Amino acid sequence: MASLYDLIIIGGGPGGYTAALYGARSGMSVLVLEKLSAGGQMGLTTQIDNYPGFPEGIDGFSLGQQMQQSAERFGAKTLLAEVTEVSLQTPIKEITTSEGTFQARAVILATGATPRMLGLEGEQALTGRGVNYCAACDGMFYKGKSVAVVGGGNSAVADALLLSRVAEKVTLIHRRDSLRASKIYEQPLKQADNLSIRWNTTVSQLLHGDRLTGLALQDVQTGETSDLTCDGVFVSIGRSPASSLFQGQVTIDQAGYIQADESTRTNLPGVFAVGDVRTKPLRQIVTAVADGAVAVHYAEEFLAQSH
Amino acid sequence: MKVLDVNNSQFQAQMQQEKPVLVEFWAPWCGYCRRIGPAYDQVAQQYGQDVIVAKVNIDDEPALADREGIEVVPTLVLYEKGQAAGSVVAPDSKAAIDTFLQSHLTKKGED
Repeated sequence: MASLYDLIIIGGGPGGYTAALYGARSGMSVLVLEKLSAGGQMGLTTQIDNYPGFPEGIDGFSLGQQMQQSAERFGAKTLLAEVTEVSLQTPIKEITTSEGTFQARAVILATGATPRMLGLEGEQALTGRGVNYCAACDGMFYKGKSVAVVGGGNSAVADALLLSRVAEKVTLIHRRDSLRASKIYEQPLKQADNLSIRWNTTVSQLLHGDRLTGLALQDVQTGETSDLTCDGVFVSIGRSPASSLFQGQVTIDQAGYIQADESTRTNLPGVFAVGDVRTKPLRQIVTAVADGAVAVHYAEEFLAQSH
Repeated sequence: MKVLDVNNSQFQAQMQQEKPVLVEFWAPWCGYCRRIGPAYDQVAQQYGQDVIVAKVNIDDEPALADREGIEVVPTLVLYEKGQAAGSVVAPDSKAAIDTFLQSHLTKKGED
């Protein structure tokens, strides 16, 4: 028979491990299923300065390890396993993984999201070596340097503006002839004199030695190609929430986020969604962490009622 | 078993072993190498009976990395009797490393 836990948490990012900490401290048996290592998306962030309590900042990998240790100090367990199937609609929920099947009375979905990639050769290997997905995280490394931003939505424009205050030169690359970003950005865009826009342009290749040296660009109308020399590129073409495993069981919105309000409760009793995979206005480490605590509060209430 | 941190001459010595050798080519500046660390440690514990699990810092051993054709870190290469039998670049889960290893180890069993 599969082992039964009070609480299984799928995903070992900040939301997941905070839920594990709160769950273990309230006396639940807790299992975290993580496919690689603690921290999730922040595991690749070299310097985190917007998580309070670390006056010198901290790197994301270490913060993830420390969150895992905090939860394990109170008895939460971690298994490095990939979840392949879930059955969430029954009172006892069943999770099938690469390391076996597990049962739980309550489940917290904390699978996070991943930045959408350009899909170009060498992209993953160059991540952190010129290819970046978070201007707020890594922008400061490009002080006085030349960077490109790919995208045309609000977050791409916000990234370009943020970088224009740090970098020497910013080029915004957009595949259409107008921005999807809201009007409030028009004025600041015009005022940033070190920021230029390449319209109707896509990135066809990442140019690199040990790290990124530039981009090969293509004009989508004329087909004309050109090279842009830059020290870094910020890819801001949206995010993909990791929710496909739960499709057909929990309610998921059009963009792929699991529908849940601030209570983190999904449409299924005993199933909660925390962090970046949940519908929410601000996706940050601090908001994921807050979700983790809230989810355990409602999981406790649920377990008390169902006993 | 623990992951063996090997230099060029230790790498050559391991290639003489009967057991297959799994080598992670990594670099200290590679964030993703760090992320697969906990999973790689577990692989060493889990498969230690059948496979020698090692890693090579390509900054310390650039000539070796070059000779082995490593262009991206982390790259995991499985060597059998000194020959590269297969490789996987930046696996995204421990399960992906398991699948890679098991496919090669079973193939060997069928021979």
